[in-house]
Amino acid sequence: MSFLEDVQKGIITEQIEAAATAEGVAAAVIRQGMADGTIVVPCNPAHKGLKLMAIGKGLRTKVSASIGLDSKDSTVAYELEKLQTALAAGTHAIMDLSITGDMDGARRAILSASPVPVGTLPLYQTIAEASRKYGSTLKMTPEQMLEVIERQAADGVDFMALHCATTFETIERAKNEGRIDPLVSYGGAHIIGWMVHHKKENPLYENYDRILDIAKKYSVTLSLADGMRPGCLADSLDGAQVQELIILGELVDRARKAGVQIMIKGPGHMPLNHIRDTMTLQKSLCKGAPYFVFGPLLTDLAVGYDHINAAIGGAISSWHGAQFLCYVTPAEHIGNPDVAQVHQGVIAARIAAQTGDLAKGMPEAIRWELDMSNARRDLKWTEQIRLAIDPEHAEYIRKTRNDGEISTCAMCGKFCAMKIIAEHMHFDKHSC
Amino acid sequence: MTQVLKARAGKITEEMEAVALYEQVDVEFVRNGVAEGRIVIPRNINRKSFRYCGIGEGMRVKVNALIGTSSNRDDMAMEARKLQAAQDAGCDTFMDLSTGSGIDAMRKQTLDMANVAVGCTTIYQAGQEAIEKYGSVVEMRTKDILDTIEKQAAEGMDFMAIHSAFNNSVLKVMQKTGRVTWVVSRGGAFITGWMLHNKKENPLFEHYDRILEILKAYDVTLSLGDAIRPGATADSLDGAQMQGLLVQGDLAKRAQDTGVQVMVEGPGHVPLNHVEATMKLQKRLCNNAPYFILGTLATDVAPGYDNITGAIGGAFAGASGADFLCYLTPAEHLGLPLEEDVRTGVISTRMAAQIADVARGHKQAIAREKEMAQARVTMDIDRQIKAALAPDKLIAAKEKGCGQHLCAACGKDCAVQEAARYFGIR
Repeated sequence: MSFLEDVQKGIITEQIEAAATAEGVAAAVIRQGMADGTIVVPCNPAHKGLKLMAIGKGLRTKVSASIGLDSKDSTVAYELEKLQTALAAGTHAIMDLSITGDMDGARRAILSASPVPVGTLPLYQTIAEASRKYGSTLKMTPEQMLEVIERQAADGVDFMALHCATTFETIERAKNEGRIDPLVSYGGAHIIGWMVHHKKENPLYENYDRILDIAKKYSVTLSLADGMRPGCLADSLDGAQVQELIILGELVDRARKAGVQIMIKGPGHMPLNHIRDTMTLQKSLCKGAPYFVFGPLLTDLAVGYDHINAAIGGAISSWHGAQFLCYVTPAEHIGNPDVAQVHQGVIAARIAAQTGDLAKGMPEAIRWELDMSNARRDLKWTEQIRLAIDPEHAEYIRKTRNDGEISTCAMCGKFCAMKIIAEHMHFDKHSC
Repeated sequence: MTQVLKARAGKITEEMEAVALYEQVDVEFVRNGVAEGRIVIPRNINRKSFRYCGIGEGMRVKVNALIGTSSNRDDMAMEARKLQAAQDAGCDTFMDLSTGSGIDAMRKQTLDMANVAVGCTTIYQAGQEAIEKYGSVVEMRTKDILDTIEKQAAEGMDFMAIHSAFNNSVLKVMQKTGRVTWVVSRGGAFITGWMLHNKKENPLFEHYDRILEILKAYDVTLSLGDAIRPGATADSLDGAQMQGLLVQGDLAKRAQDTGVQVMVEGPGHVPLNHVEATMKLQKRLCNNAPYFILGTLATDVAPGYDNITGAIGGAFAGASGADFLCYLTPAEHLGLPLEEDVRTGVISTRMAAQIADVARGHKQAIAREKEMAQARVTMDIDRQIKAALAPDKLIAAKEKGCGQHLCAACGKDCAVQEAARYFGIR
C-alpha cells in the first residue's frame, strides 16, 4: 500500500506527523489535504536523512532551487557547493537537472547530501544517454525512458517532472495557432521532435500507467511538467497551454486513483494581468492539485535581472494560489548560474513566498513582518539583522553603505524620523 | 500662465507636444489630461528645456530616483556621480533630497547636470537650516519655511514635495489608533515634531494658499507629501493613512482649482492584498490626480533587497493605477546608496514600470515584449540586446561567447531541430 493510500484510508503516518510539525499545523490538516489531493509530501523512503516538508493549500509557500551538471565543464563537487549554498539560503527543495556528464553520480551525491526533497527531470538523462549511445536524441526509446525513471526512483528521488501531457493534440494546436515559442521547454522540445519524427504519440502519455506503477512502487511524487509553458508574454494562456492543462487535469485524476501523489508544474512567462486567471484555471482543471510554478517572469525584457522579474511574478502567483515556486537566477536566458547567483535566486524566491503568504494573511508571515517593524521602530539593529531574510547580506550592506562609525543609520543621519517621533510623542527614548 | 491654465484655455504647450510624441498619443489627449488634472508635466518656468515627462492617466508609468547629501555623507562629487548613474540607467525624473551642509550648492549642481525633471522635499532644507540657525527642527519659523519654498521654486525646481496634508485631524487619528512604526517619513517627522512641540497646526497646511501662489508663479508641480505613509505592512490602510489621504484629496482639489499642477504621494509598506484598494481610494478621493508612490514595499523582512520588494509592489501598484514609482535601492533601511545601488534601483523600478505598462495594455510596451520574444526564438543576440531593458549582462555574456547554439546533449540528429522544422521556425 502506498503512502497516499494509507492517507486516503485516514491513517496518520509518521511522515505526516513530521511534515505537520515542520509546518506548525495539526497532522489532521496535512492528512486531509493529502487525501483531497491539495497537499503533497514528497518523500521517497530511499532518500535517507530527508526532513519532511509539505506543499499545498493552506501551507506556507515553498521554494525550489535547480542545480545540476549542465556543461562539459561542470563538476559534481561544484554542484554540491551550489546545493549547500541553496540550503544555506533557505531553499525548501532541490531539483537536479543534470543534462550531461556523470548524471547517476551527481544525483546520488546530491541525494545523500540533501536533507530537503530532491526532484529530477528524468527525460534529461534519457536524452543525454540516447545521444551518447546512439548518436542521436531521436533514437531514444520508450523503454529507455521508463528505465531511467525507475533508476532514478530507486535512488531515492522524491519528485519527478514529466512531460506526460505534451500530446499531439497539444502540439498541433500550438502549430496551428502560430505560437511564437513552441520550443521553450528543453524536455518538451525533445519529446516533440521524437513524436513528429516517429509519428507516434508521446511515450510518457502512452505509458502513463506504467509510470504510475513506478511512482507508486517507490513512493515518488509526480510533478507533471508542461511542454507548452509560455516562453514569452505573447504565448501566455494560448490554446496550446490551456489544451495541455486540460490533459494534465485528466492525468491528475488517474494519479489520485492509482494512489500516487501529484502536483502540476507551470509558467513561464506571462503578463501580470494573466496571473490570477492562470491560477484559477489550474486549480479548476487540475482539481486543486498543488501548483509548482517557474517564476513566472512578467516581462521578457529583464535579461540579467530575471530573479527580480520572477520575484514579482512569484509573489503575486503565491498570493493567488501557487504553492511552490521554482527559483529563477540572474543567469536565466544568459547561461548557467554560479554559486552567488544560486544564492540570489533562492533569496528572491523566498521574498516572493513571504510576500504571497503575507497577502494571504498567513499568521506566521504576519508575525515575521511585525517583529521586523517593531525592531525598526525601536532602532534595534541586531534584531533587525537577525530577522532579515538574508542576515549576512543585510549586515554586509549596513557595513558598506555607511561611512565610518555605524551606530546610527546613515540613511537619515541625525534626522532620524524614529528618533524625532519618539522624542515628541514621549516614548522611551530609543538609541541606535 | 501655468501649463494647467494654458491647457484649460485650449493652448498646446511645447511640453505637451513633447509628451504626446514620446507617448505616441494625440496631443489633445495630453492637453485635456493636463487641463483636468489627470496628467502633470513638471517643468519650472526657470528651467531650460530638458527631456519632459508626462505623469498620469494614459501615460507610461514613470520612474523617479533619489540622490542627495546627508549629515553622514556630505560629498557633492559623489552625488554628481549618482545623478549620472541614475540618468544613464534611464530614470524619468529624480529628486535631490540633500540634508547635508550646502543644500543650495547641491541644488545648483543638480539642476545644472539634469536633463530630466528635478524635484526636492522642501522641508528638508527648512529643517536642516533651522537646526543650523536655532539648534532644533522644532524651532523652524513659518517665514523661513515659505522663504525656502520660494527660493527652491525660483531656482528651478520642477516639482516639490510639500507635507501640507499632515494636519491636526491626522495627528489626532494617529494618536487615537496607534501605529507600529508611527511616522517614517523624514519630512513628516519634522512636521509632527514641530506640531507636537509647538502645539500648533502644521504651517504648511495653514499657509497652503500662500504656497500655491508661489508654486503658481514658477509653474512648479506640487507633489503633496505623505507624512503618514505606512512604514510597516501592519500599518497599511489604517485610520491615520486614510485621514491623511482625505486631507490630500481636499488639498489636491484646491491646487487644481488654483491652476497649479498637482500629484499625490503615497505608500510605503503595503501588503499585496491592500494595493488595489489603496490605488482606487487615492484616485477617487484625490479627483484623479496622478499617484506618486514609494515602492510599494510588499514585505518588511528583506532589508538589503528592497529594490526587489519595491519592484514587486511597484509592478502591482502600477498595474492597479499608480502613475509614478519612486525607486528603492538595496541600501534602503540600512544605509546610503552607492552608485551601483542607484543603478540597481533604477533598473528594478523600470522593470516594475514595464510590467505595469504591459498589464495596463500599453501597445508599445507589449510590442517590445514581442520583439524580444522573436529575437529569442531566432537566437538573435544583437536584437535581444536592443530590446532588453538593461542589456549590460547580456552584452557581457555575448563577449564571453554565449549566443552560439550550444547544447551539451545533442548530437547531429537533434530532436529539437526536428521539432523546430515541424513548427516551421529557425
